[in-house]
This record gives sequence, C-alpha cells and structure tokens, in this order.
Amino acid sequence: MRTYWRRFHAQRLFAKLFLVMVVSTVTVCIVTSLVTIRMSERLFTETFGITNSKVLNQIRTGMESFNDSVVNAASYAAMNGTIKAYLSGGESDSTRAAGTYFGMNQQMRRVKSNVDAYNLSVTAAGVNGRSYSTDRNYWPMSESRLLDHPLSVRTEAEPKRLLYQFDEERDEHGHFVPYIVASKALLERTTGFIYGDLYISIREDEFRRFYGNFTSAGNDVVILDSTGRIVSSNRTELIGRVSRQMLDYAKPSAEGEDVVRRNVEVFDRSSILLSSYIPEYDFYLVNLIDRDYAAGKVVNLRDLVLVGGLIVGAALLLVFLITRRQTRSLTMLVRQMSTVTEKNFDNYVRVTESAGYEVKELSRAYNYMLDELNDYIKRLLETQKERRNAELAALQRQINPHFLYNTLASIKILVQKGDKEAAASTINALISLLQNTISNVSETVTIEQELENMRNYVFINYARYGDRIRVNVFAAPDCMIYRVPKLIIQPFIENAFFHAFNEKQNGMIYVLVSQSEGRLICEVSDNGDGMEGAEEWNSTEGAALPNPKSKRQLFTGIGVQNVHNRIKLLYGEEYGVSIESRKGQGTKIRIELPLITEEI
Amino acid sequence: MKSWKKIVLPLAASALMLSACSGGGGNSTTASGGDKASGGGSDKKEITIWAWDPNFNIAALNLAKEKYAKTHPDVTVNIVENAQADIVQKLNTGLNSGTTKGLPNVVLIEDYRAQNFLQAYPDAFRDMSDKIKGSDFADYKAGPTSFDGKQYGIPFDSGVTGLYVRTDYLEQAGYKVSDLENIDWDQYIEIGKKVKAATGKDMLTQDPNDLGTLRVMLQSAGSWYLKEDGVTPNIAGNPAFKEALELYKKMFDANIVKLNSDWSQFVAAFNSGDVASVPTGNWITPSVKAEASQSGKWAVVPIPRLKTTAGSVNASNSGGSSWYVMNVDGKDTAADFMASTFGSDKDLYQEMLDKIGIIGTLKSASEGSAYDKADEFFGGEKIYADFAKWTTEVPKVNYGLHTYAIEDILSAEVQNYLNGSKDVDTVMNDTQAQAEAQLK
Repeated sequence: MRTYWRRFHAQRLFAKLFLVMVVSTVTVCIVTSLVTIRMSERLFTETFGITNSKVLNQIRTGMESFNDSVVNAASYAAMNGTIKAYLSGGESDSTRAAGTYFGMNQQMRRVKSNVDAYNLSVTAAGVNGRSYSTDRNYWPMSESRLLDHPLSVRTEAEPKRLLYQFDEERDEHGHFVPYIVASKALLERTTGFIYGDLYISIREDEFRRFYGNFTSAGNDVVILDSTGRIVSSNRTELIGRVSRQMLDYAKPSAEGEDVVRRNVEVFDRSSILLSSYIPEYDFYLVNLIDRDYAAGKVVNLRDLVLVGGLIVGAALLLVFLITRRQTRSLTMLVRQMSTVTEKNFDNYVRVTESAGYEVKELSRAYNYMLDELNDYIKRLLETQKERRNAELAALQRQINPHFLYNTLASIKILVQKGDKEAAASTINALISLLQNTISNVSETVTIEQELENMRNYVFINYARYGDRIRVNVFAAPDCMIYRVPKLIIQPFIENAFFHAFNEKQNGMIYVLVSQSEGRLICEVSDNGDGMEGAEEWNSTEGAALPNPKSKRQLFTGIGVQNVHNRIKLLYGEEYGVSIESRKGQGTKIRIELPLITEEI
Repeated sequence: MKSWKKIVLPLAASALMLSACSGGGGNSTTASGGDKASGGGSDKKEITIWAWDPNFNIAALNLAKEKYAKTHPDVTVNIVENAQADIVQKLNTGLNSGTTKGLPNVVLIEDYRAQNFLQAYPDAFRDMSDKIKGSDFADYKAGPTSFDGKQYGIPFDSGVTGLYVRTDYLEQAGYKVSDLENIDWDQYIEIGKKVKAATGKDMLTQDPNDLGTLRVMLQSAGSWYLKEDGVTPNIAGNPAFKEALELYKKMFDANIVKLNSDWSQFVAAFNSGDVASVPTGNWITPSVKAEASQSGKWAVVPIPRLKTTAGSVNASNSGGSSWYVMNVDGKDTAADFMASTFGSDKDLYQEMLDKIGIIGTLKSASEGSAYDKADEFFGGEKIYADFAKWTTEVPKVNYGLHTYAIEDILSAEVQNYLNGSKDVDTVMNDTQAQAEAQLK
C-alpha cells in the first residue's frame, strides 16, 4: 500500500496532467455528442412532422377516393328500382319472384362494380325481411341480427347521411374480426319512407391498406370515430378501444386548422400527434410518432458510443503516451536528484536525448552545479588537509626539550657508569628516532619503519626508566609492507608509558599489528591502571576520550585526539581510533586503517 | 508543444463525433426480402395447397396432411384458404402472365372449370398419369380431370346428386318415400303441387342466378351445354336441353319454388322447414343435418330423371371438384403427397366420410364401415352407400371450357322465358347464337 502510494506520489505530475486531459476530452466529447443529438432530434422531428403532414393528406386522398366509390355505389343502389322492389316488394308467385331475385343479383353486381377495386362485401337489407349480400362469408352478419342491430338503428336515425361505423364479427374460428361498415338508408325521395339499408363492409385489415404503407415501427396511424373509438390502426391491439383522451388531442383547437400537431403522452409513450379530421367519414386520422423510437432511429446510439468511444480512447492513448513521456523524464530527474544525500554529491543525472529540451537543459545545469560543488569541496578538503599537515609538521618538529634533556641525562649517566655500549646504542636510537621524526618528509611510512621508530623510542625509555614496563610487539609478517601515517602508534605507547602505570609499578604493553576484513588493525593494549569512566570509547561517540592534550606530550606535540582526526581526514569516516578501558584492568586502543601499499 | 495538443485532440475527436452523428442520421435499414419460396430444387419439401371450404375440402386436406406427416415428417404442407372466386382469379392472373410465382403446388378446381384451365395451360399442370390411374375413380370424373389422354387431376369429391325430401310434409300430402323413388321431374312437379296445397310449403328453393338444377337434369341424360368437343355450344336443337328448360319453367309456373339469393338463404330455406325437398349434390348432407331438430324427418331418394329424353337415368352430378398439381418448384413432393393420400388411401376416404361427410370418388374406397353406416337423421337409411352406388351410375359428360360463360348468357335468357316474353325455342336459339358469338 505504501509502495503504491509512493509510486503514485512519484507519478503525481503525470496523474494530474492525465486526469485533466481525460476529464476535458471526455467532457468535450459528451457535450458535443449531446448537443448534436439534440439538434438532429429536433431537426428530425421537425422534418418528420412536415413529411407526415403530407403523408396524412395522401392517406386522406386515398380514403376520400374510397368514399367516392362508396357514395357512387350507395347512390346507384338508392336510385335503383329493382333493388327497391326486392327490398320492399311483398310475396308473389315463383315466376315473378324469380325475376326479382335475378334482377337483384344483376343490379347488386352493378352496385358492387363501383367498389370492385376494394375487397369488400355489399349487403342490402329490406323492410320486407329480404336481404342480399354479395359475399356473406366476408361479413358474417346474419339477416335476422341485422334487423335491430345498432348499425341499422344508427343508419336509419340519420337516413340522409352515409355513415361509417365500427363493427366486430366472429369468424368461423370464433375470433373477433373488426370491420368498418359504410351504411346508408335507402328511402323513397318523395315520402321519406325507408325501405331498406345498404351496408358496404370492409374488413379493417383491408381498410388499413389506405395507410399501411406509411406506417412503421414508432410511426403509427390510428383512426378514431367521433366517439373516440379506434376503428382502425396498424397497432391491431388498439382496435376497438375507446380513447377519449386521444379524441381530445385529435380535435382541432382552432377553426380551419387542417392538420393538428401536438406533443402528447398517449399509451404511455411520448409522441408527436398529427391529426386530420375527415368529414366524409366523421373520423379523425391520427398519426402518432413515438419520440423515443423516432429519435432512436436517427441516433444510432450503439454506433455513436462505439465511434465516440474509439475516438476518445485513441485520443486518450495519445495523450497518455505523450504526457507520460514528458513527465517520466521529469520524474526520473526528480528521483535521481532526490538520491543526493548528505555529503554525497556524486549523483549525476543522466541526460537522455529523448527527454525533451527542458529536462535536458535542467539535467545539464544540475550536473554542472554538482561538478562545481564537488570541485569546491575537493579544494576545501585539500586546503584543510594541507593545513593539518602543516600543523602536524609543526608539531612533529617540536621535540619535547624534556625528552631530549632526560635522554641526554640518561646517556650521561651511562657514560659515567662506563657503560659505553649502552650509551652508544641509546645515542643511536635517539639519532635514528630524531632522523625518522624530523627529517623524513614523506607522509607515510611502512609498518616496518613505524615499528622501528617505536622500538627506538621504547629503547630510550628503557634506558631512562629501566625495564619495569615491558613492550612486546607482535606484527603479522604480511602487514609489514602496508603504509601508515607517520607516528601513528607512538603517541599511544607514550600514553601507556606515562599514564597507565601510575599506581601499578610493573606492567606490559602489547602492540599487535594484523589485517582483518580488508583493514589494517593496530592494537596497543596495556595491563595498567585503566581509566575511570571511560569503559568504552570510540570515535563516533564524541569526545569522551580523556583529553590527553591537556597533558604535555613528552616526545612530540602529537596527541591521541590528533591521531584520530588525522586518520579520519586521510581515510574517511569508517576508519579511526577506538578505546576500551576498565579501571584496574588496563586499556586497549584499536586503530583501524585501510590497507595501502603505495606512498601517497 | 504540449498545450497545442491538449486543445487539438479533443477538437479532432469532436469533429469526428460530429461526422459520426450526421452519418447516423442518413442511416437507413434496407429491408431484407424474406422470400421463402425462392431457392431449392424440385425436391422442395414445403408445399402449399389452396382450397376454399374450411368445413369441407380444407377439413379433408387437414386429415390427409395429418396422415401423411406420420410417414413423411420432413414435408411441410401449408394449407391456404381462399374464396373460390379468388382462386380462379389468381390462377387466371398468374397463368395468363406466364409466371408461376405465387401460385400453389396444389390447387382445388371445380370440375366445371377444370377443362378451361387444362386446355388453356396444359404445361402449367403436372401430368399425374405416372402416379394415379383415372380408371380408379368414378367414371364421370375422367371427363373434367383429364386432357389429351393425360390424367391431370386427382378426383376429389363426388357431386352425385340425390333428392332430399321431408317425409313429414310428404305424408301430409299423402305420399310415402317410396312414391318418390326413381320418378321423373314431371312426377316431381305434380307431387310438389300437392305438397304445396297440403302444407303451404314450396317444394324446392332456387336461386335464379344459379342454374344448377338445369345442369343436373342435363347430365342425368348425358347431355351438356357443350358438345363432346367441349367447345361447341349444344343448346339449339338439344332435346335434353329443351325438356330440362321446359321442366324448369313448369316448376316456376306451378308456383312451388321459393327463391333465394345466396348460399345462406339456400340453407336457411330447408333448415327453417320452408321447403319440402332439396334436389342437389350430396355435399348438402352436412347442412341438412345441421338442423338437428329435423332429425328423422328427412329421406334421400334418387334424383328425378327426364321423362321424354332417352337415356336419362336417376343419377346425376352437381359440382364436385378435383386436385391439380401445378408445375412449380416442389411438384414431385406435391405429387407424392396427393398420390399417397387422395390418390390411393382408402382409409383416408373412410375417415373423410366419417368425420366430415365427404363422399369420394375413389372406386376402391366406396365401401366399408363408414359407407354402410345407417344414418338416424335420415330414418336409418344408409344414404352413403346409396350415394356411392349412384356415383357409379352418373353419366359421363364433357363439361368443356365454357360452362359458366354459357350459364351467364343462359340465366338472363331463362328470365325472358320464365316471364313469357320468349318461347322455349327462341330462348334456345338466342342463347346458342349469343354463345357462339361470345365464345369464338
């Protein structure tokens, strides 16, 4: 989790940039699409409305021409004497009846020829109970039922009008089949006596042909009669239903409005309603356009989403790649820079050509700065080292006059005692020591030389103080060639000689030189008094070391603290001096140095 | 460098979106024509059959389809109901235009019209001689169903006629059923007059536009509107025709005819008990029996014959139809269907009679339990056995090409004869002249 956060944190710039790009791209895309969809929808419904108004007029024309045929048929029948005789005549003999029946057939065929273009049946029913049908199977209305049928009642109530009515009859399978029946009372002009009715019945599915070609899913035609009953529709489930609501919508709100156009909510659908009143039929021709469906057809949502998605996807991929390339080099730069830690200015950043101009320049500048910094530090270190060396050299040269005085006094005693041999070797040791200390200008010496110096010093001390403190040197032969800074061990021997044996009178000082884990280890340990309160000390814990500086150095001015600082200055923090001391048990000093064979 | 991309990319994207939107607006789905009839060889396993009466021939088709499906589950049979007039019109239109598109595999054609189609479009129909034999069926069916020595049609129902009589009305007039057996039309009219006098009921019902009774009379004497060649009108100087015409007028003059104008009025006339007899084809049996309250009051006797015309028998035919396989895709499947059902299946005919009341014309199927069944409605009479017997006695005539064309002319002329404005010879001569003029 943390790593993720950190990774995200590292990608912050990229994330921010990319997020902004995603949001803006998607938003622009969606907003543009929505605006376009709305525009096209509105345009579509406008055009649709206009086109469908024309279509309505065309349907009307078709229906009107049907009406013309029906009117022709009805007026032919109304003026025909044979038909009147058949429908109103009384009983007669077979021969005369045969003539009437034959004539009726001939005349009804002529009546029907007016409407032969349509598949329908013509039925005539007379006051005398006789009826005639051109096709009784087509409109299975039996003679007896027709007598007091609402169809005929309504027809005779308005004898001068041609009525269009809705009717439902059962077919041979018992299903209801809807019909539209044009009916006209046949009456004597002079007396107004109604001698029969003429019914021209057309099945609803035939009637539907007037508009069937214009309908499609979501574009429905509904024909309402003046009571709101749906007499015909391409949506067959609606036929026969009464919808007052739709009738209200369909009625023109103002006089002279040819085609009514409204946005309405019918049959749970939001629709555009176009309506035209057909006075011949007393029907309302209603065109319903389902908004959702119509719009859905215009706007292919699937394609839109697909294309839009593809484009957005491609754009985002492009944005992703470009942003990533830009920010990645920046992030890399930042990461590389952030690894610059305390006292480590070696983290140069890589300058990649692909990173772009800005990052490249930034990297270069940064590297240049690091160069300068490192250069400056190097020079600073150099100066410090030189200063220390100068200091050391100065100290080295200050051979303690007491040492010389004491040594020379010792030699004088030896000479007086006549011990010429011992006097000579002491003088030799002093000479050699002084030579090595003062005259040897080179900074480092081999362990061998260092140990030689130490021996000379110890020898002189023997001569002066006797051998109550003995010094043993154990040096691994393979360490002899390694070089160490001059007078690195001597201060500790001197320290041990003059401070470790104040209470104890006798003791041993061991010098061990060995190598371990790629380091040169020099140990100086004694079994003397030890130090109070300094059981363990090492360079890292600060200046807990008993400050030997306060005491005068007996041989040279170089103290223990000096040695420690010097080593660190020369070889780095990991090297140095550590001291382990216990009261009454002794002190152990450990000097760690790198393995160096070359003279610096 | 970065900022211009930020702006340009969404712009480009939206531009593309816009074009996508406008592309969507013009999108229109092209309707894929679902023409199932296309494709497939002559072994097409889906056949369509046209017929017109759901209570009669379509019911028979359903029986056959059911039986055939048991042995041929891979064949689909579509039965389409069309009015007879529509079938005739569609056939004429289709064959006239020379295209078989939209035509069925099998069509039912009334025997009177069959020759009209066979002679005009012999190539449109499949010669069934390899599947059935004409001699397996009632002899009189050979005329309409074959042409040029080839058996085209699969004969279906028998139009054999009988005289359905109301025994109760006859009794009131003092007649027994046996008094009406094997009589001639003159006797029939005499009985009719008595019945009318005794009961007030008319003897029979007629539609003046349908001269079926005249045709029945003609065929009982082996005569027809047309001569043997099927083309030449055979009216003027035809003694059988003259006698039939005179008898027809006699019936009206005797005032024993109740008029009707269509099928339902025709059926209503005897169902309501308004007429004492119905001389017509056996296909009326189900309609007669439809009025269950009249059970036991009916009997069927042989149709009257012509008195003076030699060779007239007490058997005739009215209507009847046959199946024809059309030369369209799937004709062999259709031929096999027809041959193995209506062409040979005796059991099917038993079932058809039993369930629907159809009397077939397959000779070998004219006996069996269904035929021997006594019908309580007709006083226990074995009417189907009778009809089967009479079927074999029907004289064979050639209905020719113009039966209905001549009848159109004739029905108008008959009115002139009935109302006395023309005598019988004038009517016959005028009809002959008109027919010759029209049918040239």
